[in-house]
Amino acid sequence: MCKDVNEYLEKLKKELEGCDPALIQDALSDAEGHLRMALEEALSDKPSFSETEAMASIIEKYGHPKEIASAYRAIESRTSPALAVSRTKETRSSWARFFGVLAEPKAWGAFFYMLLSFITGLVFGGWALIAGLISLSTLVFIIGIPIFGLFLLSIRGIALLEGRIVEALLGIRMPRRPLFHNRSLSWVDKYKALVKEAYSWKALLYAVLLFPLGIIYCGVFSLLLVFSLCFIISPVLELVFRIPLDLFGDNVFTPIWFLPVVCIAGFFLLPLTFHLARWVGKVHGKYAKSMLVRA
Amino acid sequence: MNTFADANKKFQKELNSGTAALVLLSILAGADEPMYGYRIAKFMEVDDENVPMMKQGALYPVLRSLEGSGLLESHVDPSVSGPPRRYYKITESGLEILKSWTQIWDQTKSFVDGILKGKADV
Repeated sequence: MCKDVNEYLEKLKKELEGCDPALIQDALSDAEGHLRMALEEALSDKPSFSETEAMASIIEKYGHPKEIASAYRAIESRTSPALAVSRTKETRSSWARFFGVLAEPKAWGAFFYMLLSFITGLVFGGWALIAGLISLSTLVFIIGIPIFGLFLLSIRGIALLEGRIVEALLGIRMPRRPLFHNRSLSWVDKYKALVKEAYSWKALLYAVLLFPLGIIYCGVFSLLLVFSLCFIISPVLELVFRIPLDLFGDNVFTPIWFLPVVCIAGFFLLPLTFHLARWVGKVHGKYAKSMLVRA
Repeated sequence: MNTFADANKKFQKELNSGTAALVLLSILAGADEPMYGYRIAKFMEVDDENVPMMKQGALYPVLRSLEGSGLLESHVDPSVSGPPRRYYKITESGLEILKSWTQIWDQTKSFVDGILKGKADV
C-alpha cells in the first residue's frame, strides 16, 4: 500500500517501465494532479484521517498503480499519435509511392513544420537567447535568482508547446501534460530541482538550436518548393510571359529543346522535396523526443 | 471463489473499456461548462462510500484518447490550490458521434435485455 502520493507515483513509474517516455510523463502528471486534489479534499473533510488512511481509500477509487499502468498501455496501443499513418503493407508500385507522397498528410505535416520552424525558431530561440542573457546578467543581484527561475520555467513551457507542434505535424508521440514538482517540497528545493534537472538545460539547448535550424529548414525547403514550381511552369513562364529562368546566366532564355527536360525535372523535384521533408521530419522528431521528454 | 471474483472483475473491466468513452462524452455533452478530470471522476461517483464502477485513474487515458481523436478539446487553466487543471469540452464531431453511439448503445442494451429476459426473437 502506498503511504503518500510520491510513493504511488514511484510505483506507477515502475509499472510503466518500457513504455514511451511521453506516455509515462502524461500518466504521472494525471495521477499527481488527481491524487493531490483528492488528498487535500479528504483531509479537509475528515481532519482526523492520517495521510496513509486517506491514501488507502483514494487509491481504491483511483486504481492501483498496476491497474492504471495497464489502462494507459491498453489505450495507448489503440491510439496512434496525430497524423500517424497505419503500418499497412505497402502494395503500391515504386512510381506510385514516389509521387503518392504528395497525397500523404504526414509529408505535408513535415513540410509545414519545416516552414513553421522559421517562426518558432525565431520566437523560441530568440526568447531563449535574449531572455536567457538578461536573466543571467541579473544573477549578480539577489532579484536575479527568481528571475532566472522564471526564465527556466518559461523554457519548460516552450518545450511543452514545441512538443505539441512536433506531435501534431510530425506524428511523434510527445508529452501532453507538464510534470509538476512535488508540492511538499519547499520553494528552495523546487528551485534547486529546476536548476539541477538536466531536462531544463536540454530544453534550453533545444530552443537555442531551433533558431539556426529553423532558418536552415525554412530556407532549404522554401527554395526547393520555389525551384520545383518554377521548373514545372517554365514553358509558360518563358514562352508565354517571356520571363527567363536564368538557368544559363543573366537574362538568358532556356533553349526550347531543353524546356521539357526542365519541366519534367520540376515534376520530380516536387515529390522529392516532400520525401526529404518527411525524412528530415522523422529525424527531427527523434531529436526533439530525446531533448524534450523528461520521464 | 477467487476465480469467480476474478471473472466478475474481468467482465466489469471489459464492459468499462467499451463504455467509458460513451459515458465521458455524455457527461461532457450535458455539462454547462468545461470540466476537469477530477471533477468528472467525482461526478461519476454514485455513492461516496462505494468503489466506483470504473477506476477513476482509467478515465484519464480515455479523455486523452478522445481528445486525440478530435471528439474533445481541452485547455489548461491555473489553479490556486494545486497544479494547473486541464478542462475538457465536447466538440461538434464529439456531439455527432455521441448521437450515433447512443443509438448503438440503445440497440445493444435492448438486445442484451431481451436475451437476459428470454424474450429475444432469436
